Amino acid sequence: MLDFKHTDRTRREFEHLSLEHLDALYSAGLRLTKNERDAEDLVQDTFLRAFRFFDKFERGTNMKAWLFKILTNTFINKYRRRVKERTVVEGAAREAGNERFVTREPTESSADPEQYFFDKLLSDDVIRSIDQLPIDFRLVVILADLQEFSYKEIAEILDCPVGTVMSRLYRGRKLLQKNLLGYAVESGVVQGKQAMELSVRVEVEEEADVLEFKRRA
Amino acid sequence: MRQECRKLEETFLHAYVDGEFSPEESAEVKLHLDECATCAHAVRLHQSYKAAMLRAHTTAPHLFYQGVREQIAEEAAHGRWARAFQKPSAIAVAAACVGAAAWFLAGGLSHPLFASHSFIEDGIALHARALPLDYAATDPRSAQQWLQSKVDFGVRLPRFAQGPKLQGVRLSSVHQRQAAVVTYSLPQADGRRVSLLIVDDPEPHLPGAARRIADREVWLSRARGFNIASWRNDEIVYSLITDLDEPDVLALVQSAEMR
Repeated sequence: MLDFKHTDRTRREFEHLSLEHLDALYSAGLRLTKNERDAEDLVQDTFLRAFRFFDKFERGTNMKAWLFKILTNTFINKYRRRVKERTVVEGAAREAGNERFVTREPTESSADPEQYFFDKLLSDDVIRSIDQLPIDFRLVVILADLQEFSYKEIAEILDCPVGTVMSRLYRGRKLLQKNLLGYAVESGVVQGKQAMELSVRVEVEEEADVLEFKRRA
Repeated sequence: MRQECRKLEETFLHAYVDGEFSPEESAEVKLHLDECATCAHAVRLHQSYKAAMLRAHTTAPHLFYQGVREQIAEEAAHGRWARAFQKPSAIAVAAACVGAAAWFLAGGLSHPLFASHSFIEDGIALHARALPLDYAATDPRSAQQWLQSKVDFGVRLPRFAQGPKLQGVRLSSVHQRQAAVVTYSLPQADGRRVSLLIVDDPEPHLPGAARRIADREVWLSRARGFNIASWRNDEIVYSLITDLDEPDVLALVQSAEMR
């Protein structure tokens, strides 16, 4: 019947299980939508949907993964069409050329050939590099490297085979690292000849990826 | 060494750093890393990449946290009625109660499920009050352009074959969501007004009874003496709020083009 106590208890249980993931969802939402306002809308929608379908959630299973599945579905269905991915992909190269020529003093350790330049990157550069990724790659990178989901969890969240997750993740990371390396060189964190060495690792594979993405988009 | 380890290097070593391996498998990889500088370097590089990625974390604004809690509380308060009616026994009991109450209130109450669709109630309030326009226009295209620059969701203003004359647009918000109210006048019906409420509403169900009109699912309902037709276009909800009779509303919806 009209069991009001039950709904109060449900709400408390929902809040108890879900709110601890709010920062993670917001953080991911921000990298998906690239602006605070859309991120708030997206996360708000995600929580409302999750609450409405809370009876479908199997108690004892992975709440964070369940919430992220709702987040990504909501994003794909609703927000994605707003985001003009292609202009971002195409604009990225031009932007990188014009905008930033900030030189930082090379530190002593930057002369060290064994240096790991990722350690020296600013979070701004990391964020910018993530935001430049085409959405399919951005999604898996966010889930794997920002949220540290396992491949299997990501496959469940995105409803695709683990193999697809692995190949997208691999290529997404390559693209991203190429962007990061670009920023590192520009800002003097990495010098030219080290960049050459590093680019062996951070291979130039993205041309094909971007073309493929454009074909599908 | 470098050559023979090229294969191991990438996805395999990534998977190792990503924690995808069992403890036994990881132990084996570790043994290899002690011997192979190339792979050890690749692992350290990937670890430093992953550490850098974690720096992209952002925390949600405190106010937003409060906002989400409030929304859930509100949803719980509204949704409890809607959910209560999902149980057949509750429907029987509640229907009896509502039926009885409806007799007393004589038409003042409409459908109990309205509780979860108060955005329409808000729309009615906006329609009834005839508030000043933010943007006066008689041409749908310029109104749509103006609107598009003001709201953060895609809007299509319907083109009506005949009848309603566009007057203008007013921005508003219902339930903390952006909304637009487009006002039309009806010269052939003593200048009566029609309001089109446009809101980005995630609620999957629209109020009223579903009908298929001009290839669209349209929900017809009645509240506070107004006939309302709602439909969804690209996830956005459009609700025509009118004081017209039902056949006139149907004809209006029939003639609406969403291109």
